[in-house]
Amino acid sequence: MKIVVLVKQVPDSGAERNLRADDNSVDRASANNVINEMDEYAIEEALRLQEAHGGEVTVLTMGPDRATESIRKALSMGPDGAVHVLDDALPGTDYLGTSRVLAAAIGTLSPDLVICGAEATDARGQVMAHMLAERLGFAALTGARKLTVEGAQLTVERQTEEGYEVVTAATPAVVSVWDTINEPRYPSFKGIMAAKKKPVDTKSLADLGVSADQVGWGGSATTVLSHSKRPARSAGVKVTDSGEGGVALVDYLSSEKFV
Amino acid sequence: MTLPETDERRALREAVSALGAEYGHDYYVRSAREGGRSTELWRAAGRLGYLGVHVPVEYGGGGGGIGDLAAVCEELGAAGCPLLLMVVSPAICATVLTRFGTDEQKRRWLPGLADGSRVFAFAITEPDAGSNSHQLTTTATRDGDGWRLSGRKTYISGVDEAEAVLVVARTADERTGRLKPVLFVVPTDAPGFGTSPIPTELVAPERQFDLFLDDIALPGDALVGSPDAGLMQLFAGLNPERILASAFALGMARYALAKAVDYARTRSVWGTPIGAHQAISHPLAACHIEVELARLMTHHAAALYDAGDDQAAGEAANMAKYAAGEAVVKTVDQAVQTHGGNGLSTEYGLATLLVASRLGRIAPVSREMILNFVAQHSLGLPRSY
Repeated sequence: MKIVVLVKQVPDSGAERNLRADDNSVDRASANNVINEMDEYAIEEALRLQEAHGGEVTVLTMGPDRATESIRKALSMGPDGAVHVLDDALPGTDYLGTSRVLAAAIGTLSPDLVICGAEATDARGQVMAHMLAERLGFAALTGARKLTVEGAQLTVERQTEEGYEVVTAATPAVVSVWDTINEPRYPSFKGIMAAKKKPVDTKSLADLGVSADQVGWGGSATTVLSHSKRPARSAGVKVTDSGEGGVALVDYLSSEKFV
Repeated sequence: MTLPETDERRALREAVSALGAEYGHDYYVRSAREGGRSTELWRAAGRLGYLGVHVPVEYGGGGGGIGDLAAVCEELGAAGCPLLLMVVSPAICATVLTRFGTDEQKRRWLPGLADGSRVFAFAITEPDAGSNSHQLTTTATRDGDGWRLSGRKTYISGVDEAEAVLVVARTADERTGRLKPVLFVVPTDAPGFGTSPIPTELVAPERQFDLFLDDIALPGDALVGSPDAGLMQLFAGLNPERILASAFALGMARYALAKAVDYARTRSVWGTPIGAHQAISHPLAACHIEVELARLMTHHAAALYDAGDDQAAGEAANMAKYAAGEAVVKTVDQAVQTHGGNGLSTEYGLATLLVASRLGRIAPVSREMILNFVAQHSLGLPRSY
């Protein structure tokens, strides 16, 4: 089974993140950039499938030069190689443009399965799997908490607010996963040492047959017009207990319709 | 601060740090208090190849160096769950076997030591010799093709977790007084092998033991290396021991410093974080400087050792151990002081280190013995003992 895993480098969600004042894009320069957390679950799922069914796992990343660090980290977990789409025309590309570029790159790899995280912690759009499936003509199995493969038949438990749905499809397919699907492995020392020797194929837009005016700021269908800081948390209500604290608490909770 | 390290070493630190964070100081203290061991963490680290980073690839290791092993030890310590037996089983025992073992011994022992499924303890210290390894009395006598071993050892870590102990003895025909240490792999289930735990006030999952070696029969292949190799093969293990002891201390120091800094930043009294006061911030800054200086010397010692310069590595490893021991004692002390009463609470996870941090000043070689070494060998001053 040939599997492509999408890996995105994002600013560490554990630290403060900002948008840039000049173009409303994510400030990546001053952030500690890491692998999107959900993508580690996608890598783990791909590796488990490879261990069970054989085949090949390729990491696919679209991003600037420094995304190489995240590609190496991903490779240290065990995938066989990576494709890095790197082009000066790419900054500013929106979801539609990104899906166009990734679909073109996936097309050159002809995988049976594309696995990605259900969302990235920077933009949290949750749309990439659907867009890619549409462009590639693949089945879309999104939001998986469990994935089973029998031959060309895929079965997914799709996580919902209330529980889960069982969805099946045949390969080729795009599967997006939540962090409930597995527990990602730590890179072993051998994996770390091997990562640098694994092939990373750098592709430009020209290599993929995508024209520069279909991506970047100019080629994007959507534009972020403005942004503002999240409002500071309000102080809340402090109940001083002078014998009636319990009543005051319940009054507050019922006024907020919690009870 | 970032040390001048390769991308791979940095990636190793990151991976080990993530593993350590999954366990953390609570796991460490729980294991210690309940009389358990940190076996789960040991096994997990072993499976990922972290305990055998320095063992040759052909014997199941990672093919890296002592610098890699020190990085693993330091990062686990910084995560609050230091593994004391790393100083012993992989650092001393696997190194000695790698350098001086026969092919058969390496094939037999190294893969298990590298993946953590085997644990070896190391026994040199004796009740009447202390740090004076020239006065060792544990004696091996030829017995046909094999040996018979008798003697006593004290303050031996983790014997209850070990399947064998690498014992430093001397050969019986060397009663002239000239040191001629020999090393034996002694199974802990051998007839005549007795242990007695030494109660200590250390909060650590690893325990300390007295060993009683009563006329233990050993096969010829229990001897590691040549009976005539002398001190060099002992020092092959003792330099990595000192480098790892430094890393162990510095991991603990980093853990304590991070707790102190976090507390100083967030604990507010009279409307100001206490870290804004120089009485709090300056001592912590000084601790940070001493920790980073000691990390640099440890890195230097490991680099010299990995480059094959045993002699220069010996001097640097002693200096690193001295600096790391001082830094951890000072840092844990200052971290407790920064926390005030909370520093002594169970919740804040620092008081557990008050005794453990002193280990860095005492073991495996005391501050005073290092000063003797430096005075005599680095400065050329007269020998004091």
